[in-house]
Amino acid sequence: MKFRCERDTLAEALATAQRAVASRNGALPVLFDLRITAIADAIELVGSDLEITNRVTVPAAVEQTGVAVLPKILGDVVRKLEAGPVTVEVEGDEAKVSSGVFATTLRLKAVEEYPRILATDGAGAKVDAHLLAGALRQVVKAASKDEMRPPLTGVLVAARPGGTGIRLVATDSYRLALRDLDGVSMLEDGQKVLVAAKGLNEVQRLAGDGEITVVLGEREAVFRTDKAEVTVRLIEADFPNYEQLIPQGYPNRLVVPKEAFREAVERVTVVGQGRDNANVRLQMSTGGGLELSVSAADVGTSTGHLDAKYEGADLTIAFNPQFLLDGIDAVDASEIALETVDHLKPATLRPADGGDFLYLLMPVRTA
Amino acid sequence: MPNGRSGDACETVRVRLIVARCSVEYKGRLAARLAPAVRLLVLKRDGSIAVHSDTKAYKPLNWMSPPCVIEHRERQITATTAKGESLVIELDEVLSDQTFDLGDDPGLDKDGVEAELQELLAARVAALGDDLELIRREYPTDIGPVDLLCRDSSGRTIVVEVKRVGEIAGVEQLLRYCERLERDSRFAPTAGMFVAERIKPQARVFAESRGVRCIEVDIAELRGDIDHLTLF
Repeated sequence: MKFRCERDTLAEALATAQRAVASRNGALPVLFDLRITAIADAIELVGSDLEITNRVTVPAAVEQTGVAVLPKILGDVVRKLEAGPVTVEVEGDEAKVSSGVFATTLRLKAVEEYPRILATDGAGAKVDAHLLAGALRQVVKAASKDEMRPPLTGVLVAARPGGTGIRLVATDSYRLALRDLDGVSMLEDGQKVLVAAKGLNEVQRLAGDGEITVVLGEREAVFRTDKAEVTVRLIEADFPNYEQLIPQGYPNRLVVPKEAFREAVERVTVVGQGRDNANVRLQMSTGGGLELSVSAADVGTSTGHLDAKYEGADLTIAFNPQFLLDGIDAVDASEIALETVDHLKPATLRPADGGDFLYLLMPVRTA
Repeated sequence: MPNGRSGDACETVRVRLIVARCSVEYKGRLAARLAPAVRLLVLKRDGSIAVHSDTKAYKPLNWMSPPCVIEHRERQITATTAKGESLVIELDEVLSDQTFDLGDDPGLDKDGVEAELQELLAARVAALGDDLELIRREYPTDIGPVDLLCRDSSGRTIVVEVKRVGEIAGVEQLLRYCERLERDSRFAPTAGMFVAERIKPQARVFAESRGVRCIEVDIAELRGDIDHLTLF
């Protein structure tokens, strides 16, 4: 195998493929490497940890086709080279990477040890990339990172009744994010799949301005962007029955400007940084607006006030500050409504003027 | 003591260590193969099997976690799961095959548990008494820092010593702090409180005979199992 490719093009492609390379303990050793295939006038780079596979194809001047598995350090080597064409040539059990007067040889790994990653055929559905990436940004953060609870590490993608669109839902049991996307059809009526959230982060990152093609296979979902193809494992597990968790109505409603709310929460939580129990306490009263406070033992206390519209009974409720900030960030509106039942039942953050997103957040019990 | 044994049946009660030239094939969500080489196979009492090389510290090259069915035929060990995943180890040459009974493990004593307990209790001194108020954590004295210094509703200074496991030595340490602080007019009168995840009976008897209150706490509860309500 021998090819030549512009440094910047190759470095960017390597960085994309490299993001999917295994980083966890216990993976197959070969999954810490990259597979490169040189075909007629392009090279394909694949990185995979078997949950996510990033496949990037970039133009290259290929003198000799072939396939090789190279250590992921190739990315660092290429990035440090001077701008200009980079030549990669495989000879025996080594690959020589050269540009101008610089050259590096890298030991190859056995191609046959690299897992056979199946390609998913099918035309798939086309979705506006900007729309999908925006929805994923709102939802994916609420998914759990706890691998002991597999169903919660995924994002539920479900068809809405009557083919009116899809719904994305993620939860880690402390909060739940839900976004409806009207007019998007990638599922059969009644169909739902659970897609590994980690992979959807990658889809967000690679989404450009055009369209994303989504192909749903039996065990994986493939997202083709204009930059790369991301294959994400489907999780074979039942997602919790989330609909019953959403309260039917709320007696209390606070409306507050999003940016001011976020800044106020960030300001008062500084005193509790790094302390698990330093929750943010919100005290709401009609005519009194919103009082915020955080208290951290042997550090101190922060308080703040925010003008806000409040309807309902006087209420003090506390939240995990990071979960609250994630929810505020996820709401795509200039004004946020915080709806509550009491200090122990789930509260909801959503755009003040309604919309197609909600963030359900469990309070924490205060002493 | 090692028990030399031939590998004709799979030992599941004891840990079994096999050093063998072998090849390994995994079939499941993907297909993966390890070419023939000398490797260490570890079969544990928990029903797991792990294939190690002479690198990567504790990390196996491949493994199968329980529940799985492990079968050992003449030159082959197979582990299969209910989901249809399989790990097939072809044994070309067995260099060593031994089993050991490791007995019950006493568990890992982790540094930092006491510090975490102390931090959690400082954040919620109410877990030790409704009327307690934290004066300071790690209050320095000439003979060392007091874990938690609190005040109760009657104005007494409560000197709290936090341990993972409460033993007599910890009670003695607490009594020394109390005696020291009793001399300081800012803190007198004082009372001792001995807090641990588990307090040994002798330590409890000794503490209570000196007027020290003993409290056992659950670190999981303090960590937030109580505070962090969940949606489901």
